[in-house]
Amino acid sequence: MRKRLNLLAAALLMTLLVGGGAAAQVLNIAIPQDPDSFDPIRTVAAATSEVAFNIYEGLVKATPEGGVEPALASHWEVDPSGTRYTFYLRDAQFHNGRPVTVEDVVHSLNRARDPHLSVRAGELDMIKGIKALENGVQIELQEPNGAFIYLLTEVYASIYPADAEDLSRRPIGTGPYYLADWRPHQHLELRRFDGHWSGRQPYFAQVNFLIIPDENSQVLNLKAGRVQLIPRLEASVLHQVANSPGIKVEMSPMNLVQLFAINNARPPFDDLRVRRALALGLNREEILLGAAWGQGVLLDSALSPAMAQFYNDQLGEVNAYDPEQARKLLQEAGQENLRFTLTLPANYPLHVQAGELAARQWEELGLQVDLEIVEWGTWLERVYTQRDYDVSIIGLAGRLDPHAILVRYTTGSSRNFFNFSNSRYDELIELGLRALGEERRAIYWEAQEILARELPGVFVMDPLQMAAMRQEIQGWRSYPVYVVDVASLYQ
Amino acid sequence: MQRYLWRKTGGFLLTALLVSLATFFILQVLPGDPALLILGTEGSPEAYALLRRELHLDQPLLQRYVQWLADFVKGKWGNSWRYSLSVRELVGQAFPLSFALALLAVGVAVLAALPVGLLMAVRPHSPLSQLLSLGTQLGLGLPQFWVGILLIQLFAVELQLLPAGGREGWGSLLLPTVTLALPRMAILSRFLRAGLLESLGEDYVRTAQAKGVPGPVVLFKHVLRNAALAPLTAAGVQFAQLLAGTIVVEQVFGLPGMGQLLLNGVFQRDLPLVQNVVMLVVLVILLFDSVFDLCLGLLDPRIRYE
Repeated sequence: MRKRLNLLAAALLMTLLVGGGAAAQVLNIAIPQDPDSFDPIRTVAAATSEVAFNIYEGLVKATPEGGVEPALASHWEVDPSGTRYTFYLRDAQFHNGRPVTVEDVVHSLNRARDPHLSVRAGELDMIKGIKALENGVQIELQEPNGAFIYLLTEVYASIYPADAEDLSRRPIGTGPYYLADWRPHQHLELRRFDGHWSGRQPYFAQVNFLIIPDENSQVLNLKAGRVQLIPRLEASVLHQVANSPGIKVEMSPMNLVQLFAINNARPPFDDLRVRRALALGLNREEILLGAAWGQGVLLDSALSPAMAQFYNDQLGEVNAYDPEQARKLLQEAGQENLRFTLTLPANYPLHVQAGELAARQWEELGLQVDLEIVEWGTWLERVYTQRDYDVSIIGLAGRLDPHAILVRYTTGSSRNFFNFSNSRYDELIELGLRALGEERRAIYWEAQEILARELPGVFVMDPLQMAAMRQEIQGWRSYPVYVVDVASLYQ
Repeated sequence: MQRYLWRKTGGFLLTALLVSLATFFILQVLPGDPALLILGTEGSPEAYALLRRELHLDQPLLQRYVQWLADFVKGKWGNSWRYSLSVRELVGQAFPLSFALALLAVGVAVLAALPVGLLMAVRPHSPLSQLLSLGTQLGLGLPQFWVGILLIQLFAVELQLLPAGGREGWGSLLLPTVTLALPRMAILSRFLRAGLLESLGEDYVRTAQAKGVPGPVVLFKHVLRNAALAPLTAAGVQFAQLLAGTIVVEQVFGLPGMGQLLLNGVFQRDLPLVQNVVMLVVLVILLFDSVFDLCLGLLDPRIRYE
């Protein structure tokens, strides 16, 4: 009898150990929102790219440093004219076990640039044609485009089987994880894909993204051990984890450009002196402290320091806080009693708080600022689309390549809700596409200087991305784009 | 009786129709274009046109309303724009949870309010009653999100007894139930206390006492039945309210209930989701209301089929 009991105990212990071992390979991550759709050409939510990064791969993919590395293409060549790219496909298989073929690549990319299907088709309109080769694809561009290769890292350029159906719910990709289950408002369950072309096996066999909308609850879940990682901690709850035993926080620039957009077409803001007065009258240090709890880096142009290769770090003095000078400029422009409306998007507390601080600072110059807090839908309609506003504030998400960010400020861009127009700037952005290396960097340096001096808006800060995690989680990699790289994590 | 049922059914259908009109047209006049909201700050005119076509936003308003109502009646609720899931599936996940939570919370509130209300009415000046009275005031006054977070902090973080959130077994419903039941119990017990105090002063109580009916029999058989009407009606209202979800508690505990579904739907202008879910919730509440009315009639003959 006793022997049997011992055996039972041993068996129990074994299951506990084995079970415990298996449980240790499960990672739970807290995110505030569900993805929208896993069909790469239909998704627009950042919440999707965060998860989809682990499921889908393109011909190339982004690196933490902001570069591009081979993914489904083992290597690629560009012809001397800079318009013909040849990508060589490696041996890889999809999550359903089928090998990746040249036809799949052609199908996926053609679908991504079809304006009748894809919501991001406009971004790939430089492609003239895609041709299947025996072991790869050849992509022909209308003209040389230095930004092109970076666009291939975006979710919409992911490769999936040509015969796949219902991708929005059941994504089939080649990434290190596959989607096993998705319950909206609850969780997404990702499982390790053992057939990944790299042959490398990520540490965690199962990764759950838990949907927890409330930031306080996220922190409590981290403390209670139900989740091990919060990739994007709200600055307002940082103090709750800062000194908690067993928890660490890793910080890096988010590559989000927060700025006060100024309607350049609407008088008196068409007068550079008025715009400059708004810039000089802004104490951005105070805004950084007051709105972001000090967790961010100040910006002088439309690029974040996260874009290290292209960031112009010499602009710090251009718009340094100088209320005296600001008052003088307003006087010169005859606008010392200017009254205007500052429109704030209600769903972003960071922007609302920054706006309230700025309004007070501008009022100290003698201006009258009417605060108007609007819902996100209203903001998109009135400010972004109809461009019917005086001054507003928003955060613009960064991309891997500077062109995708900076093209927004060119005269004809549909995303140029600043109504900013500068011919030299437009010319530079054109040139930047064709330039390479040092020449390209110099072009974007000059473009940033124009933005800092001509002021489509006043650039404020790039908030820090704060990833809070249990002490035992290792291998966190922060990217200048909106992703969580699960495969690199271990404990 | 038959006339009563006809009248009830007519009122039911009329209310449903009015709600459908209100839901549809309020969502249309709300600022915020659904296609713009989907595209965000990276939108382009081409993508916008594509989306408007696909979402049928380019069709006339009246045509869309009639189409929607017809589809709703036929049970074709379509797909949510935000989640690319069918509305049926989303509701199928959220409603059982909200239903269970409403039942549990109101059940606990009723069961707890009974002794508390009785004690406060029968022995109004005892120290325990005073304490309970203070407690019910606190229960009413404390914000739910704060109570919820406090409970998580205590039972999940410090004691590690219960999950900090999510929908993992019945244990995960315990803290939300307590959080929701607390203020509702406070209201019900105060209703009950007031009702009891009023009834205890009635003539029939004195009559019963005078002819020698034992105290507990008077209290439970005669007084309670009269005094329970107001709190039970209130409990019915509370239950109906909770069926539509509880945004705050769902957020704090990360529960995928009706409240979150609707809240996100409204923010994203997810028209098919919001229209159909609001209609469903209204129908369920109307149905519940009718049944509840009939049940109250059993308790008090005076409100039968008036």
